[in-house]
Amino acid sequence: MIIAALLLVTQVVAQDPRLERLDPDTRSAVAAVADSANGVGLPVEPIIQRALEGATKGASGARIVAAVRRLAVDLGTARLALGTSASAPELEAAVAALRAGATPQVLAHLRDVRRPPLTMALSVLADLVASGVPADSAGAAVLALAPQARDADLVDFRRAVERDIALGAPPGAATSVRLNAGALDVSSGSPSSGNPARPRRP
Amino acid sequence: MFEPEDETVERLIQHLRRPVAMDAGLDARVMREIAQASSPRRRVWPLPWSVAAAAAVLGAVLVARPWARNATSRADTLQFVLIAPQAASVSLVGDFNDWDPARSPMQTAHGIWATALRLAPGRYRYAFLVNGVEWRADPGAPAAKDDEFGTPSSVVTVGGRGS
Repeated sequence: MIIAALLLVTQVVAQDPRLERLDPDTRSAVAAVADSANGVGLPVEPIIQRALEGATKGASGARIVAAVRRLAVDLGTARLALGTSASAPELEAAVAALRAGATPQVLAHLRDVRRPPLTMALSVLADLVASGVPADSAGAAVLALAPQARDADLVDFRRAVERDIALGAPPGAATSVRLNAGALDVSSGSPSSGNPARPRRP
Repeated sequence: MFEPEDETVERLIQHLRRPVAMDAGLDARVMREIAQASSPRRRVWPLPWSVAAAAAVLGAVLVARPWARNATSRADTLQFVLIAPQAASVSLVGDFNDWDPARSPMQTAHGIWATALRLAPGRYRYAFLVNGVEWRADPGAPAAKDDEFGTPSSVVTVGGRGS
């Protein structure tokens, strides 16, 4: 019965009409990776999306297959760090954090100190590193904020650091200054955390 | 010039202030109706039934976990903007629309291209496709550093709480 269920899932992934944008060999290889991921309980949708991104951007089949294989491996590493209860968005964000240079230990520590979902905290960690903040500084800052800060507070922190960097501050110094200066008023909330009806910028 | 209207208003007030003759038994009837309507209809459930009902409600809440659904289904509306005065067309393409340029064409006003999307919680990679050929990252959003396809992308994260 389990084998039948797995076969059914395999067929579903292989017959996903979105994958028709790939050439037959690439489609087959991507479906195989997605099936393997699904078989061990990893989310399939990020793998599909990565393949579609490659197809739309005109990447070669080999490049697309390499990308989805790497993503599947990283999703597995992320789940090892965050545990089996981690959601698909959390795993995706954890992959970004890992690729940015965060260690699985930092991810596991974050899981211990912050109530789920961890998606925003993990993303802010990844985005800080993408802004030039050293991975260990970014990890330490997010871990320090994680127990109390709301998602909106974390985004405000990231924006403040990015603004300081854009004005010429060294990334590591900008992070520690913002952290120590209490730029976040995590207990009372920040003004920008607000109006859910109004579209916000990314 | 308002005096005639004032007189009319005054007459109306005088009329309304005249006492109204009421049935002498009205009070008694009203009080009797109130007494009947408010008499409590007590229905005492046997203890096991009330315990079972409470357990059923608690069980339903625990199974449905409305707080968990709330945490994960909190969508957010985001506005994507690109300033591209020379562009003839701009599409927003990303994980949220299967990287299909036809799904989210952007509208322009004086070279400012914009569109808004409602996104469920998650981390999304995206980019702008200008004139159908040129990929551009969003200058107002974090860059996707793990771009494996040789063109720039950005990321946006919709959190599950307080974002």
